[in-house]
Amino acid sequence: MERRVPSFYLLGAFFALFILFLYGPTLTIGILSFQGPNGGLTFPMNGASVHWFANLFEQQAVGDFWGAFSRSLILGLMVMVSTVSLSVMAGLAFRERFRGANILFYLTISSLIIPSILVSLGVGLIFNILDWEVQWYSSGFGAQLTWTLPFGLLIMFAVFNRFDKSYEEAARDLGASWWQTIRFVVLPMIAPMLIGVALFGFTLSYDEFARTLLTAGSKNTLPLEIFGMTTNVTTPVLYALGTMTTAFSLGIIMVFLVFAYWMRARSRRLGNDAGKGMV
Amino acid sequence: MKKIPLKAALSRRSVLKGAAAVTGAAIGSGAITGFPTIWAQNIKNVTLRQFGTGVSNLNEFAAKVSEDLGFTLEMTALDSDSVTQRAATQPKSFDIADIEYWICKKVWGAGNLQAMDTSKIKNYDKIVGIFKSGKLTPESVIAQGTAPHSVGFVDGPNGKSFASSETGWMTLIPTIYNADTLGIRPDLIGRPISTWAELLNPEFKGKASILDISSIGIMDAAMVCESMGEVTYGDKGNMTKEEIDKTMAIFTDAKKAGQFRAFWKSFDESVNLMASGEVVIQSMWSPAITAVRSKGIPCVYQPLKEGYRSWGGGLGLSANLSGLELEAAYEYINWYLDGWVGGFLMRQGYYSAVPSTSKNYMSEDEWGFWFEGKPAQGDIKNPFGKVMEKAGTIRDGGSFYDRMGAVACWNAVMDENKYMVRKWNEFIAA
Amino acid sequence: MSVEGRKRPFFTAEQVSWILVAPLLIILLFFLFLPMLTLIQVSFWDYNEWTFFPAFIFDNYVYIFTSNVTFATYWKTIQLTLWTWFFCTVIGFTVAYFLAFHVRSLTWQIALFLLCTIPFWTSNIIRMISWIPFLGRNGIANSALLEVGLIDAPLEWLLFSDFAVVLAFVHLFTLFMVVPVFNTMMRIDKSLIEAARDAGASGFRILIEVILPLAKPGIMIGSIFVVTLVMGDFITVRFMSGGQSTSVGRVISNEIALLQYPAAAANAVVLLATVTLIIAVMVRYVDIRKEL
Repeated sequence: MERRVPSFYLLGAFFALFILFLYGPTLTIGILSFQGPNGGLTFPMNGASVHWFANLFEQQAVGDFWGAFSRSLILGLMVMVSTVSLSVMAGLAFRERFRGANILFYLTISSLIIPSILVSLGVGLIFNILDWEVQWYSSGFGAQLTWTLPFGLLIMFAVFNRFDKSYEEAARDLGASWWQTIRFVVLPMIAPMLIGVALFGFTLSYDEFARTLLTAGSKNTLPLEIFGMTTNVTTPVLYALGTMTTAFSLGIIMVFLVFAYWMRARSRRLGNDAGKGMV
Repeated sequence: MKKIPLKAALSRRSVLKGAAAVTGAAIGSGAITGFPTIWAQNIKNVTLRQFGTGVSNLNEFAAKVSEDLGFTLEMTALDSDSVTQRAATQPKSFDIADIEYWICKKVWGAGNLQAMDTSKIKNYDKIVGIFKSGKLTPESVIAQGTAPHSVGFVDGPNGKSFASSETGWMTLIPTIYNADTLGIRPDLIGRPISTWAELLNPEFKGKASILDISSIGIMDAAMVCESMGEVTYGDKGNMTKEEIDKTMAIFTDAKKAGQFRAFWKSFDESVNLMASGEVVIQSMWSPAITAVRSKGIPCVYQPLKEGYRSWGGGLGLSANLSGLELEAAYEYINWYLDGWVGGFLMRQGYYSAVPSTSKNYMSEDEWGFWFEGKPAQGDIKNPFGKVMEKAGTIRDGGSFYDRMGAVACWNAVMDENKYMVRKWNEFIAA
Repeated sequence: MSVEGRKRPFFTAEQVSWILVAPLLIILLFFLFLPMLTLIQVSFWDYNEWTFFPAFIFDNYVYIFTSNVTFATYWKTIQLTLWTWFFCTVIGFTVAYFLAFHVRSLTWQIALFLLCTIPFWTSNIIRMISWIPFLGRNGIANSALLEVGLIDAPLEWLLFSDFAVVLAFVHLFTLFMVVPVFNTMMRIDKSLIEAARDAGASGFRILIEVILPLAKPGIMIGSIFVVTLVMGDFITVRFMSGGQSTSVGRVISNEIALLQYPAAAANAVVLLATVTLIIAVMVRYVDIRKEL
């Protein structure tokens, strides 16, 4: 082992500061969410209590964030399932050359670079002109997919770029049909990576704000509800909600990580190295 | 939501029609017994969807509605802009619109609301004059701007243009209103404030704020410019292009000089600005003041010599409502004016459109403090049981007649509205 | 798995591909392509207080190109974008460099990388408003500085200023730079660096002459993300500037709020053109598909 160069410590300190920068504000509101019952939105602390967390479970003066939370959860799952299945399908297709592949690729990428508010506005306008009602599960769902699908597809590209095709060819040589090859060879090999796509799909949807803003209709999703609360609430219950959603997000990530770890361990046991070298 | 088949509802309606006025009164007081059972059960299946600003879309109301009337009221609280947007563009998303009068003026033409038959409104006669003739007392002078009575009536059930006097068909049933002025932090200012012009006083550089809702903000701006003597208006509520230009120029200069700390869009933002000390003088709404004070921070709703800028809101019915749901909506409105809600709103610092019924739901001390401007005998609590004012305090600005009698202008939508909105946006962007 | 004889496939490979991408294509056509066409169409429509209706007028564009506010807004947006991009790039590159070349075990690399990405999965709005109690006149930052004696009066420009806006942007978007840069750096062949070191290059020269050029595609991808996110933002600017600064996104969201959809659409079209132009220039330097 070589000796650590001084730059290591310098960069390490920089990294530590960066982490502090990333987590600092979240910690601030984490602390403030334990304000006493008479505390406000800013320091100083006015006693300490779990009053505002308890308050979360009571009826609020305005709004309904448990409803919003359950809508976000359902929408997140819908988006997650669609994103995983559609990106896998598209990822498989893009391994072969087909006419229109380039145009479709650029269309997908453009979905990432078009500012979200424009997508939101455009989808809202279409529904308005067609005289359809915007709903979180129709227009909102579609608008969110334009954000999660490109990410999903890009990850699938990364996966298939590193995919060893010889397994597949071996299966074909043994007489497996196209579907059998996909079902019994390709999918099990890429399964651990799909966890990543699923995590992306869920959290991008769960936290999506701009694309949902004009497409969610009369019922709010959680980020819209939080946005509403920033203008409607003057108590630390807002921070309690923030702390809780952050904890929930962290919980989801942990579940995915554990699951991914388990999948990887399992595939390693089965002598599969498809996941190697992928972060 | 469970919809009643239209046909069934219509046939039922013809039966109910005659009885509605009588039954309405009974239902309004919570006595459901004695009704044809078929209706008593059906009305439980009705769900009315209401939206409006956070001030009056409280879940407490929905709970009380299901207790008293038996049907379900779904509430959505939004900011002013979203409220306007929904009233104008999403007629399918609501049954009852809880909007302000200036919003009504803007969106009535969209045809998403239907006029209401005042003969079905039990307490119509007790509604204060402001919403009917425009006059608080027979001697009052009508203030400038979009005064509620001027957009409160239309010619008939399908009327498109506003009528100048009472017609029996109301656009909005008035529910809530108030007189607004500047809020200040007396502890941080340390001297008396008596005029709107103080908002742009360089002494408060970086510590002033104004609200960023054009139809309301422009009126605050006009009050300031007029009191500074910089601009003379023909009618503040209906400015000419030059008047708009002059007003916005003064405010743009002030903004560039760093007068403003922030602009706010909902009243809770103003609470946070004031409570944290970021701002010491700003346009503010009454409950925001009480919210700051309830945190133990001194804050005064400063009466000013030029008078108040006032606003009013009411309930409008979606044009899509018919049959049983429409009947339920009338029941709901009658219930609204029956006093319980009024008392609830008054105890937050707003005024009820029918003060006489609200009085029944307030203690003598509360009525004395909030309405009559008398010193509080004991601690004054808000509807949620939190102490707002200590014994001995007097409401800023005094009694109902002192405050509503000194209204200088109403929130307004002008003929030059499109131009004004552009200029306002340019001011915000400057 | 049953072993059957290889049958002649029912579909050709190309047809299979088309079937597989069909759902993606349909969603993108309906929720992306069509909306953009609608934006262009509606930008020529007219509107009144409560609705918008078909017409063919240029007023919306005429207003944009004649109003002096447009220029000021774009200038402000571009300034914010450049500052944010600058800080995101410097910070993102440094962090990625540290992770890729100074952390030696793969486990630690992954662990620290995850530590960076976790906040990205939580609500943007919550993360943004978290800054307010921190930066306010009586916030933690000012109290701490006063305590230490570095300042005698609270710093006003910490909150509700362009500084606050850029700070929040950097906080929200640096990750979009770290991830692609880290990804490209991990793909750099370590033997290249060994070779450079053997040839006597200092650590600094290796960084500048070997790693930086090789990491460029990652930086480009990150830059595309940062630029798009900042140019299209409307909410961070409003919150962090206290409503005092205006970006193009905010103008659009204001117009939407005031029901001036055609005006908003016209602004949207201009913004879209601007962003596309910037991105088009940037992608000339990178082949995204190869870099994954």
